[in-house]
Amino acid sequence: MMIQLRDSLSKKLTAMNMLVSGVALLLASAAFFAYDLITFRTNLISNTSVQAQIIGSNAVSPLIFNDPQSAEKTLSALRASQHIVYAGIYDARGHFFAGYWRQPGAWLPVLLPIGPDQRTDRHWFENGQFALVQNIVVDGKPVGIVYIRSDLGAIYDRLRSYGIILLVIVGASLIAALLISRVSQRTVTRPILNLADTALQVSRDKDFRVRAPISGDQDEVALLVDAFNGMLVEIQKRDSALQESERQFRTLANSIPQLAWMAESDGRRLWFNQRWYEYTGTTPEEAVGWGWQAVHDPEMLPAVLARWRTSFATGEPFEMTYPLRAADGTYRHFLTMAMPVRDASGKVVRWFGTNTDVTEQRRSEEALRQTEKLAATGRLAASIAHEINNPLEAVTNLVYLARRQPPNVEKYLKLADQELDRIAQITKNTLGFYRDSVSPTEIDVSEVLQEVLALYGRKLSFKNITLRPNYGADTKVLGYPGEVRQIFANLISNAIEALSAGGCLTIKTARGRAWDGSDRSGVRITFTDNGSGIAPEHRKKIFEPFFTTKKDVGTGLGLWLTLGLVEKHQGSLRVRSSVRTDKTWTVFSVFLPESPKRN
Amino acid sequence: MMTGWQTANTQIIPFFGKPEWIPGNSPDYADKSERTDANKKLRVIVIDDETLIAETVVEILKEEGFEATAVSNGASAIELAKTWHPDIVLSDVIMPGLNGIETGTKILEVSPNCRIILFSGQAATVDLLEKARLQGRSFDILAKPIKPQQLISAIRGTTGYLS
Repeated sequence: MMIQLRDSLSKKLTAMNMLVSGVALLLASAAFFAYDLITFRTNLISNTSVQAQIIGSNAVSPLIFNDPQSAEKTLSALRASQHIVYAGIYDARGHFFAGYWRQPGAWLPVLLPIGPDQRTDRHWFENGQFALVQNIVVDGKPVGIVYIRSDLGAIYDRLRSYGIILLVIVGASLIAALLISRVSQRTVTRPILNLADTALQVSRDKDFRVRAPISGDQDEVALLVDAFNGMLVEIQKRDSALQESERQFRTLANSIPQLAWMAESDGRRLWFNQRWYEYTGTTPEEAVGWGWQAVHDPEMLPAVLARWRTSFATGEPFEMTYPLRAADGTYRHFLTMAMPVRDASGKVVRWFGTNTDVTEQRRSEEALRQTEKLAATGRLAASIAHEINNPLEAVTNLVYLARRQPPNVEKYLKLADQELDRIAQITKNTLGFYRDSVSPTEIDVSEVLQEVLALYGRKLSFKNITLRPNYGADTKVLGYPGEVRQIFANLISNAIEALSAGGCLTIKTARGRAWDGSDRSGVRITFTDNGSGIAPEHRKKIFEPFFTTKKDVGTGLGLWLTLGLVEKHQGSLRVRSSVRTDKTWTVFSVFLPESPKRN
Repeated sequence: MMTGWQTANTQIIPFFGKPEWIPGNSPDYADKSERTDANKKLRVIVIDDETLIAETVVEILKEEGFEATAVSNGASAIELAKTWHPDIVLSDVIMPGLNGIETGTKILEVSPNCRIILFSGQAATVDLLEKARLQGRSFDILAKPIKPQQLISAIRGTTGYLS
């Protein structure tokens, strides 16, 4: 294929050749022309001057003898000189004596164009004519004057013929130059055009195997072609490496069990792995761009998009669990994680994300949660049994004494009554754990806390733990009483285990707002113990199932279960801790919103 | 006994102060060191941080003809044992301060012939007893709640064993 160019290099080269040849010819012609003109003028002056001298010599006798006819005869010889228009002889005083006119019939005497004081030999050009005045001198005495006028027709004739010759020569030269440059430029432009063809082919077909033809010359173009071909070799290497890497990436992306995808920096999806299409039952045409939103649960989508906006704004990795619709229309839960891909300047150019199916995990976690709930209930039952044992023992003793000491019956029975009240109180508190309603009911968090604490009285006093309660006003929330009790029981029992004898547990309740940015109103409950603290490396893991530092006593499910219950209330559970040797402490902070919305 | 927990929750579990009907728990034991075997009444120290339990047990034991006194913690019991030389110590296991096993061990150091009977309402005591056994101390144990008849027969059994 040849490239069609409007301003081709070939045309430019031709034009340049022509211009150079043309200018050279013109300059040469002009020089010759000027030289010829000058020579011609010099010849004209000297020829006319010689003629004037001849006429002057022949006019001496007629002037002396006053014979104008004879002078006119001499003058008539001038007929041979075509260019002489007029010639006249004047006496010493400047009076007309004899004349010659080229034009037949003309006879008017012509006055000398100079005054008596300018009687020197001279010549000049005037009105397209050449004029010459020459004195006739005999023995140093002027006897007359010759005046000749000649036209310059000869010069113009010469100029014309020169011009014609010049045109012919320049024209012929230019044609010759044109032909020569046509032939010679091919050696220059052809390799360049070939190179351009190759470059075009590469960029159009993305085929890096083609090469520009090599001319065999050792000029600059050959150098350029060599460099271009070298570049193609390098690009071909990189291209095949890139293709190989791309192929490996796709194989990897399609072999992982996750759904995977890539998105532009603004969230437009560019690519999905095969598993994504298989799971969602969509086609690339449907999903690429913004079509992926169609497989989201419409109720969750706004939250997902809001979370994405945050990631786009901050460039922080995205992590969220949400349901995605399968090809059969059912929803499964996926943990979605996306990492930003940054360019050299740190700007986010892509997002790479995966969706991991966590449905089974969620199910097993739920089952585990139920099991742990049962286990926790068992532990609680033991604690309650112990709480009841003491008043029960006291009552047994009092009944025995009442039988044996009739006079003191009243006192013993009154005391027994008090102990029975205590038992009733404990059973009442205990019942709260099992009284779980289907819908949230109003609970006073501070009251629930006190009831739970009553069940841990023995444990607290056994370890000699000082309890510092600080209950705020209006700590009512809508919630599930049994679950809230469970949350508090777990956190209090953890604190008791963390504390050594003589420690201090501070429990505070207060109205507050959520720290997650939603600004929801609710109640915050903090459990502060001055126990040994939680090591920083453990702090993140304590909410994971089966994580425990108390291998012999703990199941590692307590805090995980507690977090689950808090999240069920759409609340939050945070931990802060210090393991500084002089001051160790741990704070668990529970936030319960005013009213949870249960899905 | 007052704990921080009780201070905060007096409305939930009533505080059991020292009942005024129980005679003073500091017995007059000036002449006790000169007891003869003939007129001997067995001496029992009852330790429980639940004062009401300690006091009622003492009252029951007195009904049965023992000489008994109640204390609310291990430290007081050890102090008392040094001068009063009890034959039997009845102690709760789970208590603030020294627990029943620690208290029993210390009392045996001052009164080697004393018999220690522990009572407990918690499974956790099994571990504590196991630990004590490994240290060469073995104690009798009664599970709470204990019926008065059980308590008496247990003591009688031990007294028989003692004599």
